[in-house]
Amino acid sequence: MATTSLERELKRGSTEVLILALLDERQRHGYDISRLIDKRSGGTITFHTASLYPTLYRLEDKGLIEGRWVERAGQRRRRYYRLTPAGRKMLFEQRTIWETFFLALDRVARISHA
Amino acid sequence: MPEWKSLLRASFAAGGHDPGDDIIEELNAHAEIAYESARADGCDAAEAGRRVDALIHTWTRDAESLRRRPKRAPAVVAPSAERVRLAGIIQDVRYAIRLLRRGPGFAALAILTMALGIGATTTLWSVVNGVLLKPLPWPEADRLVRVTETRDGRAGRVRGTVMNGTFVAWADHPGTIDALAGWTRQTRTMTVRGRGEPSRVPAVPLTPSAFAMLGARPLVGRLFAADEGARGAPGVALLSYGLWREQFGGRPEVVGEAVQLDDQPYTIVGVMPRAFEFPDREARLWTAWTVPGVVGEQGAQVGVIFSAMARLRTGATLAQAAAEATARARAAPDSALVAMALFGAKGPIDVQMTPAREALTADVRPAILVLLAAVALLLVTATANVASLQLARATTRRRELAVRASLGAGQSRLIRQLLVENAIVGLSGGAAGFGFAVALLHILPSVLPVDFPRMDAVTIDMDVAAFALALSLVTSVACGMIPAWHMRRLNLVETLAEDGVAPVGGTLRLSIARTRACIMAGQLAVACMLLIGAALLTRSFVALMRADRGYDPVNVLTARLPLPAGYAAERRLQLLDRLIERLHVVPGVTHAAYSTALPFVSAGGFAAFTMRSPRNPGVEMDVQATQRIVSPDYFAAMRLRLVAGRTLSVTDTAVTPPAIVVNQSFARKYLGDHPIGFHIPQRRGRAGIRFRDDRTDWEVVGVVDDMRQDNVDAALQPELFASFTQIAPVGIRNFDPILVIRTAADPASYVPTLRTLVREEAPAMALDSVMTMEDRVMTSLARPRLYAAVLVGFAVFALLIAGVGLFGVLSYSVALRTREIGVRTALGAQARDIVWLVLGQAAVIAVIGIAVGLWTSFAGSRYLSAFLYGVDPHDAVSFGAVSALLLVVTIAACLVPARRAARVDPLQALRGRW
Repeated sequence: MATTSLERELKRGSTEVLILALLDERQRHGYDISRLIDKRSGGTITFHTASLYPTLYRLEDKGLIEGRWVERAGQRRRRYYRLTPAGRKMLFEQRTIWETFFLALDRVARISHA
Repeated sequence: MPEWKSLLRASFAAGGHDPGDDIIEELNAHAEIAYESARADGCDAAEAGRRVDALIHTWTRDAESLRRRPKRAPAVVAPSAERVRLAGIIQDVRYAIRLLRRGPGFAALAILTMALGIGATTTLWSVVNGVLLKPLPWPEADRLVRVTETRDGRAGRVRGTVMNGTFVAWADHPGTIDALAGWTRQTRTMTVRGRGEPSRVPAVPLTPSAFAMLGARPLVGRLFAADEGARGAPGVALLSYGLWREQFGGRPEVVGEAVQLDDQPYTIVGVMPRAFEFPDREARLWTAWTVPGVVGEQGAQVGVIFSAMARLRTGATLAQAAAEATARARAAPDSALVAMALFGAKGPIDVQMTPAREALTADVRPAILVLLAAVALLLVTATANVASLQLARATTRRRELAVRASLGAGQSRLIRQLLVENAIVGLSGGAAGFGFAVALLHILPSVLPVDFPRMDAVTIDMDVAAFALALSLVTSVACGMIPAWHMRRLNLVETLAEDGVAPVGGTLRLSIARTRACIMAGQLAVACMLLIGAALLTRSFVALMRADRGYDPVNVLTARLPLPAGYAAERRLQLLDRLIERLHVVPGVTHAAYSTALPFVSAGGFAAFTMRSPRNPGVEMDVQATQRIVSPDYFAAMRLRLVAGRTLSVTDTAVTPPAIVVNQSFARKYLGDHPIGFHIPQRRGRAGIRFRDDRTDWEVVGVVDDMRQDNVDAALQPELFASFTQIAPVGIRNFDPILVIRTAADPASYVPTLRTLVREEAPAMALDSVMTMEDRVMTSLARPRLYAAVLVGFAVFALLIAGVGLFGVLSYSVALRTREIGVRTALGAQARDIVWLVLGQAAVIAVIGIAVGLWTSFAGSRYLSAFLYGVDPHDAVSFGAVSALLLVVTIAACLVPARRAARVDPLQALRGRW
């Protein structure tokens, strides 16, 4: 995929929103998140696994998600992530922005979203 | 399942990174799931392993960004609930200190004002505490009572005394008291062997029973035995600690040493401890004394007047003791004639008991209470001032407080902040005031009159410190509650949205301005009250100074010349006459005389006799009068006014008929309309006066105007004057002459000359109590002067505070109304009108304040009447002058704010940039 700076920015921003959105449903671990992104976007967004964990750590640093180790019977302990109230707030705002964006795009360029 | 942890670690290490165990483990878990997933998808182990390896490869390629910052501690730790309150208060304190530092002018003014108010109040409280409240320093002091007697309701010439008849009658097996003691005061010439100069020492003859009653123990030696002090017994003396250190070197061997008092030998039997002061701090020596019986040698009546004290038996009341003493006294033998002379009446006797502490302080209690009231007013005005300043600050801080409130600070939190701020100012002021009080108390003994009772008990102790602390806190709360009350009604939205100079909508500032105006009126009222009190007392003091005393105290030098007891009357007179002769030739000396009596020094003696009334010849009257024996020049030296007849002169000698001069009171009371030439027949049974010629009748040769012996407002006494040359030697055997010298210029400059002359004529003798007559008058006025000075000080302080406060309030109000003034000016108002606006506001405050002050003073000044002489408590001059002064101060305080108001540029004001 051609990576112009605009696309890169869009991607970064959207990656974070995607992760937040996924965690909104329930808490997940890293592999889970990457698999879901891949699956739900129908492959359109090929998520570079290399950027998954840095993004997660960045989000954690910002206080939007928090991770904790969970040990279940018969499994190695895994690190699960979930949204913080701040993260929830951010997600809401971002959703609003994206919706507004698409609305504008629609009006201007008749681009609808799915 | 293959192991990827070590591979991960090795891969990262190869790139020089170490992401940490946590991340390794997370990536490991991811790898594991990826492997299992690949296998579940149908890949074989090798393929799955290859996928995972690729994963790891991408991770290690971007190892830099695989960093999780360690979990930081949150920036703000929510404190545990228990610590919140304390932390909150400390925070308030720090904040308050910061605020005060930012406004050092306000802080300094507020703290200084509080310091002066609290300092003055604390000083006065320590006086109240020490003088009126603290128990006397003797064991069971609450059972100690002073015994006094009156006859026919009249008190003795010397206040607070009893006669020997009463004392002796009661001392014999009393029922209601444990012990009875008597004492007098003397000044005696002490000569210590081996020590050159004789010195004058205040001595107190005391019955031995006194020490048991006071629970006193000697420091060295022993106390008086019960039988010591009897007439004719060898004299024994106890030294005070101070005298022992100064004159006897503090040696314990002083016990048993001999000492001469007025040429009589005494043996020192002991030394009293430093803390022992009886009857006051002046006494330096105690001699054993017995109260003489009523019947003396050869059947002569002996009447002695002295002070007495008793200790009540447990369970006995004052009334019971008084009743017992009265009954005994009335039944016992009495020296009636002497009583007549001393009391103006023979009987019936009434004995009174007063608790010792009350008796000691009764003199000063009213004055102290008045001063306490005055200082309380002062404190109120100081506190009001600080409160008013805080209110002004509250205006500028309302935004800050509104923001805090909107951020969640509750009402109580804000109030607590304000209280803490005020507490800091109050406590700082209190601490400074406490220091100020300590300093003041150091100089107090030198400022107060010497006879001010219980000065030793006036100290700074825990009680006083606690009082100062309590005062600081109370005033802080008072100062803080007013702004806090205003904050209570803070409308958040309005305040936050408020335009800084809107004339309306500033409801908070308006209500603050109103409160400040009320406080201001109150301060003016307080200043008015204090000023009126000060004016009344000052006028009274001036009247006392200028009062006509019957003599002219200006340019008169006086001194006592104590003569040895052994000197016969003739020898005394010769010595004194020589001295007077020599004084007469000193340039600048216009008159010189000697006498047994002088105002403030000694009344002389008392005479009592009977004679026929000139108005009703058939009636015998009891006459009692003060008697003064004088040399001829006395009348001229004192400038006594002659009303009729002549004064005594050199023509009255031992061989001419006895001549007396009387004063107006005597003439009016006893002699009818034609006093001159009246003859008073010689009689037996006279008390007091004895002429050489005891056969010829006395002739009244002159009448002089009344002379005041002590206080100007004391009752006038009948007096008679006789010449030394005509008095029988027995009558002048023991007197201590008083020299009176009138000079042309400053009398104090003649002191060295006088001393030289005395040294030449009487080498072994020393002058005592050398003072100008004016100084004596001023000393007698020490208390009125003190009270007036203190009240003037308070009044000036209150006026200053009021003036500055008024200035502040008006400036504040002008700033508040800037826009309004701008509007008015723009609509055509002249500068004059604007000035009237400001003056009008000031006038309202001033009129209300002064009116309240005047009304309160009018109602309350009658409490001052006990202190006033020659001035009515509702003296129009004082009230008028004070009102005028306050109006002037009001106008002065208006000037600057009014000018500022007049200079308001309407354009700038309307734009809101003024």
